[in-house]
Amino acid sequence: MKTVSLRLVVAALLAAIGLTAFIIGLNYDFGSARRMGPGYFPIVLSAALTLLALAECASAILKPDPTSADTLVWRPLIAILAAVAGFAVTIYLFGLIPAFFVVIGLSTLSERGYGWKPAVILSIITCIGAWLLFSQLLGMALPLFRLGF
Amino acid sequence: MFENILLGFATAFTPINLAYCFLGVFLGTFIGVLPGLGSLAAISMLLPLTFYLEPTTALIMLGGIYYGGEYGGSIASILLNLPGTPSAAVTCLDGNPMAKQGRAGVALFITAVASFVGGSFGIVALMGFGPAIARLGLSFGPSDYFALMLLGLVAAVTVGGGSVIKGLIMVVLGLLLGTVGTDVTSGDFRYTFGFLELRDGVSLVGMAMGLFGVAEVVSSIRGAKTRRITEKVTARSMLPTREDMRKTFGPMARGSSIGGFLGALPGAGTVIAAFLAYATEVRLAKDKTRFGKGAIEGIAAPESANNAAAQTAFIPTLTIGIPGSATMSIMLGALMIHGITPGPLLITDHPTVFWGLIASFWIGNLFLLVLNIPLIGLWVRVLQFPYKYIYPVVIALICIGVFSMRTSVFDVSLVVIFGALGYLFQKAGYSPAPLILGFVLGPMLEENLRRGMLMARGDPMRLVSDPITGSILALSAILLIWSFVGGIRNLLATRRKATRPLGEA
Repeated sequence: MKTVSLRLVVAALLAAIGLTAFIIGLNYDFGSARRMGPGYFPIVLSAALTLLALAECASAILKPDPTSADTLVWRPLIAILAAVAGFAVTIYLFGLIPAFFVVIGLSTLSERGYGWKPAVILSIITCIGAWLLFSQLLGMALPLFRLGF
Repeated sequence: MFENILLGFATAFTPINLAYCFLGVFLGTFIGVLPGLGSLAAISMLLPLTFYLEPTTALIMLGGIYYGGEYGGSIASILLNLPGTPSAAVTCLDGNPMAKQGRAGVALFITAVASFVGGSFGIVALMGFGPAIARLGLSFGPSDYFALMLLGLVAAVTVGGGSVIKGLIMVVLGLLLGTVGTDVTSGDFRYTFGFLELRDGVSLVGMAMGLFGVAEVVSSIRGAKTRRITEKVTARSMLPTREDMRKTFGPMARGSSIGGFLGALPGAGTVIAAFLAYATEVRLAKDKTRFGKGAIEGIAAPESANNAAAQTAFIPTLTIGIPGSATMSIMLGALMIHGITPGPLLITDHPTVFWGLIASFWIGNLFLLVLNIPLIGLWVRVLQFPYKYIYPVVIALICIGVFSMRTSVFDVSLVVIFGALGYLFQKAGYSPAPLILGFVLGPMLEENLRRGMLMARGDPMRLVSDPITGSILALSAILLIWSFVGGIRNLLATRRKATRPLGEA
């Protein structure tokens, strides 16, 4: 029962994306078949996406698929997404080294009872490795530390 | 022809190129061995590393990562019954039973040899047919290109198995994402929502890393606890018996031809090549019951097929600029980042790139063969290393990789969005590979359609009545209708066990 609803939710999400793109696409110049404007392709594609996603919605209701019995596992998903988002914020505000500690620290929350020690050790190893590879070997100018904006 | 091959080897044999080829193969195998990460994730993760290299060197390294990743996937499937890449799933069928019988070493050795044979066959095909197909490509007009790309997209959805409608949704979503940014013809911004970063379009690497990297890591965190390898794999145990060698000649030859042919077709790719080669061996065998219980032919045929296909997949990518699979579309993106436009002119304009790359493929395949015998112990150790210490680092590498592409925080936040989407898609049974293919082909598809329609004065009938365009379009239509009829028949029949392709093709 749960998987049916997941299929339906995803299909509905896709239909919503298609519909939104269609409405925004109406603002662009459609042009003609001979001289297509910037809106031609987006309109046709978003209409197709909406219709296909609606068909998939219908199929999810009418024909439940017993094989995909997977359910969402929230903990790792949220932890990993938070880790990537945390990296983005930290590298912007404080630089690369703190960002590595944040991304690895938050990733380890995916599992219960991971402990902070392995997380710190992994962060240190990753920092040294990345510093050697990116800064020393490839000569990229990455902000290792910085403060503010 | 002969001069060109010499030129290629002269390019590939410079110490720098050899070193990066080796590095690519090594890193590719390393990432391929890790559960859930295939060659596509390996290429996208390591793409930023190649920015600082010469284009030829960069491509040689990426090529190495690609087939290293494919081979690494086979190691994981044989030892753990956990296919790292979808094309390696076939190798599981007989590879894992062999490992359980204590013949893991032999299975790994045959895999390496079969990969080498298949790869070499594919390279010869690439050398032979590449230039000819490029010459053919020169005579194509915009509408022919449009039709060819459409065929590639349709084939990627219909031939691969799995739900056609889900595949179509992914392709269309990919095409739509491809329209984000500045419209080439008019200069208008589309779907940029006021973000400066989106004017250049959605970052391919950010998207691929979210859809494949993050989504795969999230779903393998839970399943990763029960991994134990009991077999001891030493270089000594890899030696096959004379009987083993004798049995693998035929399957390797058949596998290579099947793979070489299928790889060059748009959308078919390595997965189908491996499956078809396996099915052929089962059909030809006198004693069919041995398959699935550790038949050595069941490894040799699909492994040679998927490696031959991995090489010939470069034919359409390099010579007409139309990638056949998601992995190839990342390669195409990499080429363009390095300022090389793939297409019929690539061979004449950049002969060192084309021939150097081909020569390096061969050297890379040789590296794979030579490397993996002494290094097998290392790969086994990588496999046994607890996953809990691997995935945080993988996530960190994904972040820094995406960030360093354009030193853009925005691209990293794209990873969050596409990571969430990718996980949802995966759980709901969508394969993100067609999305990537659609995304890369989208802008080219649109440009060629617009030019073609301009030349046809807005009359679609003129497009269809052109012999080349028309027949390619008809072929796409037949494929679509055929799969829809099949789908309806499926719906009417009792619920059948659906196979769900995962990851890239």
